Amino acid sequence: MSLLAPLFLAGLLTIAVPFWLHRLQTESSDRKPFSSAMLLQKSEQRVHVRKKLKYLLLMALRILALALVALAFARPLWTNPEALPGPPPDGTHIVLVDTSASMGRAGVFDRAQSLARGAIDSAPDGALLQVLGASAEVREMTSLSADRDAHLGAIGSLAPDAARLDLGQAMSAVDRLAESLPPPVVLHVVSDLQDSSLPARFSDLVAANISALSIHDAGSGDVRNRAIGSIRVTGDNVDVSVSGVGVEPGAASLVLALNEVAVGEQPVAGDGMTTVSFAGLQLQPGDNRLRAELTVADDLAIDNARYHVIQNDPPAPIPLVTLNRSGLPVTYLTAALHSEPTDAYRVEPMVVGDFDTRTLSRYRWAIVDDIGIIDAELEAALADFVTAGGGLLAFTGERSASATRVPVLGNAIGGASIGGPGGDFLSIGQVDSGHPLLAETQGWYAVNLTQSTPVQAITADQVLIRLDNGEPFLIERRIGLGRVLLVAGGLENSSNDLPIRPVFVSFIIEAAQYLSGIEKQERSFAAGESLPLSQAGTTSGQVIDPDGRSILALADTTRAQRIPLRKTGFYEVYTRDGEYLVAVNTDPRESQLAPIAAETRQRWVAAMSGPGATEGTVIPDIEAQPYELWHVLLLLLAVVLIVESILANVYLAPRTTAGSS
Amino acid sequence: MPGLGASQSTARELLQPEVLARLKNLDLVARSVVEGFLIGLHRSPKFGFSQEFAEYRPYTEGDDPRFIDWNVYARSDKMVVKRFLGETNSHLMLLLDASASMGFGGPPVTKLRYAQYLAASLAYLASRQHDAVGCMIFDEEVRDFRAPSSQAGKLQSVLHCIDAAEARTGTKFDKPFDKFHEQSIRRGLVAVISDFYCDIEHLLESVRPLAWQGQDVVLFQVLDEQELRPDFSANVLLEDLESGEAVEVAPEFMREEYPVRIQAHIDELSRAASGIGADHVLVNTRDSLDLALRNYLLFRQRRQ
Repeated sequence: MSLLAPLFLAGLLTIAVPFWLHRLQTESSDRKPFSSAMLLQKSEQRVHVRKKLKYLLLMALRILALALVALAFARPLWTNPEALPGPPPDGTHIVLVDTSASMGRAGVFDRAQSLARGAIDSAPDGALLQVLGASAEVREMTSLSADRDAHLGAIGSLAPDAARLDLGQAMSAVDRLAESLPPPVVLHVVSDLQDSSLPARFSDLVAANISALSIHDAGSGDVRNRAIGSIRVTGDNVDVSVSGVGVEPGAASLVLALNEVAVGEQPVAGDGMTTVSFAGLQLQPGDNRLRAELTVADDLAIDNARYHVIQNDPPAPIPLVTLNRSGLPVTYLTAALHSEPTDAYRVEPMVVGDFDTRTLSRYRWAIVDDIGIIDAELEAALADFVTAGGGLLAFTGERSASATRVPVLGNAIGGASIGGPGGDFLSIGQVDSGHPLLAETQGWYAVNLTQSTPVQAITADQVLIRLDNGEPFLIERRIGLGRVLLVAGGLENSSNDLPIRPVFVSFIIEAAQYLSGIEKQERSFAAGESLPLSQAGTTSGQVIDPDGRSILALADTTRAQRIPLRKTGFYEVYTRDGEYLVAVNTDPRESQLAPIAAETRQRWVAAMSGPGATEGTVIPDIEAQPYELWHVLLLLLAVVLIVESILANVYLAPRTTAGSS
Repeated sequence: MPGLGASQSTARELLQPEVLARLKNLDLVARSVVEGFLIGLHRSPKFGFSQEFAEYRPYTEGDDPRFIDWNVYARSDKMVVKRFLGETNSHLMLLLDASASMGFGGPPVTKLRYAQYLAASLAYLASRQHDAVGCMIFDEEVRDFRAPSSQAGKLQSVLHCIDAAEARTGTKFDKPFDKFHEQSIRRGLVAVISDFYCDIEHLLESVRPLAWQGQDVVLFQVLDEQELRPDFSANVLLEDLESGEAVEVAPEFMREEYPVRIQAHIDELSRAASGIGADHVLVNTRDSLDLALRNYLLFRQRRQ
């Protein structure tokens, strides 16, 4: 018997209360003076004794009630003594089979299945069993049961996949699962025990709910493997890195295929890391499929091919409305946008008078180098363009300085501010660096201004940059589905030096990304990872796997999804914003086949099973499960209170004392 | 005679304990009781009580000088005192039990208060008959004592002694009676006023020497109605006022058996008193005092 909250036993002091109350009651109740007791019958004291016994019974019940309350709060635990000396129950045996890519080596997975079957056969007759598969995630292949045939069948259905196993994550998942399983839980790990599958922290390997660990090594001793580590594309050149372990030189070649057409083949060196280069790729517009593949067989086939997506999209046209196509603003903006690494934008300068407003719908966003130059017709067209979802980057040049309001936005413009309070340059005073547009830009505080256009911000505006005199310098406003970015300064390099500052280039590129509404898309994933479909928009789409099958059902195509990428190859992704390719490869760490050191394995087993244990199954002594008694005590308390109430009602009913005196 | 009947009725009402309880002055109580009692008392030689002249007798030491007939002295040079009808020239000694048990009773009055009324009335009555009156207040010990005297002013002293008595401690007759026996030389009347909750044999051992001395002893047993006919409707824990002993009793016992027991005790006391030549008068505190006084006069008449 033990107590979970022994401090509540202090509540037993309250039993002094009924003691005190009953002492008062017996001392004072119905005691009447009488001249002499010499003629009273002595035997009548039996009545008093009987009454005293009644009071004692009541008092005992009340003391018992208080004691039960205190004991219930103290939460006593009772351990059945008969359960202690008996043999420990057979518990649960979990068989965790590694199905990661490295298990695809010749003969390894067959050995793993054999070991897993052996683990099931060696489990005690009364033990419950469960089979788990583990790679990028832990999967329950069978439900918990003692049906060995079902578990053996599940082991036969297992197959290696392309994902990576992280033993730390797998142990964490098994630990959570073991919480609800009948103890003791014995875990059998059947794996090739790659050293690269170990977590960064050794403690992540330890599961508190596992009573014993049994490691079954399915790996082979000698390793002979080549693997493609990475593909790097620079312009029309491709560099492919290849690693080899235990292989002969010159026995293999690397074939490069572009859009499923072989474009080159080169021999590969032996052991160690080698880089093979290919040049003169003829890319097609849009996404190109690039596949590098080794032509020789080795122990692990899945890392003999690697996939890469080369984006070759045409630059997006951007209209630049200006008064002078050869002016400095056009030069600065064009140079900044063309400095984008992927050459994603093409600037189309247009004189304001010649600009056909009907062409606006062809663009995602537009630039006006001086918002003061546009007429009413263009202003209305730009307003409609933004409302419909377009973007607009506008500056306030020399023509804007004489205006009283900002076209499209409608903000009032005050008199131009010239210089600072002391006649010095104006400078940037405050930058909202948390805004996605400005998060990647640096150097705003180096910008100097001799003159600014004092635009009056309104409530709907979000001021992203302010000058040191408090005036807004960069304003964002959402209008309809689109947004407008207004820089309160010109690009003539006369009123400020922003165009010649490095921050201008990064700002323009970020603004292009921001206003076009296209997020950066990851094109390369490791097998087992998930593709977030919502990355390209608020709605989902459809995904075609490397085998050409649609992954999403029709009902799921309108919901944002995270698509598990289980196979290696190219996935075709179709979303509202377009279609693109995603390359999925095996994690390069799966190609590192070196096993876990024997010392580390022993430490792992010892940490799971206690000191002195060796590799293998160790079943600890089983302690009988204590039983909490508080609910029994509360039940008893209810009975005591009922009895006490009945007796008190009988004994302590209002009585009539001496009548006439 | 309607007038006399009304007067007797009023006087009788004055003797009721509840009426007397309103009077704080014991002297006034005694006077009211006795005068009221005498108003209702028919002149009768049987009782031998009047203020009418009867005879002269020679003056002896101790007689009140107020009663010397100076005319006779002038004529015969002899000092004689007048004697009246009913005058006995005796003395009365009042022994008042002031033990704790006497504090029981009421309302309107406790047994002790009633006993005080009775003692005071007897003292006043005796004083009117020119008897010497003394008193002794006792419980386990003698708490106060006034020697019998018929001198003027002694009555007030006796009344004050009676009035000052308070109920406390237990009851023992041997010590007080032994002391009284040692000091008592002249024969006279001894009125013992008590509830007599004691062993009768022990009481007789104390009273018997007085009887053998020639004293005329009367035992006034004062009991409350609750002692004679207790009325309890539920179990009750009764605590002895003297010993503190607590006994829980059933109402059936108090209604049925206890009256039998108290009556047996009274009868035993009465028989014992008769055995030693003493009188026993049972007094209920709810009764008017004239019954006790009448019994006293009858007793006194028998002893003359």
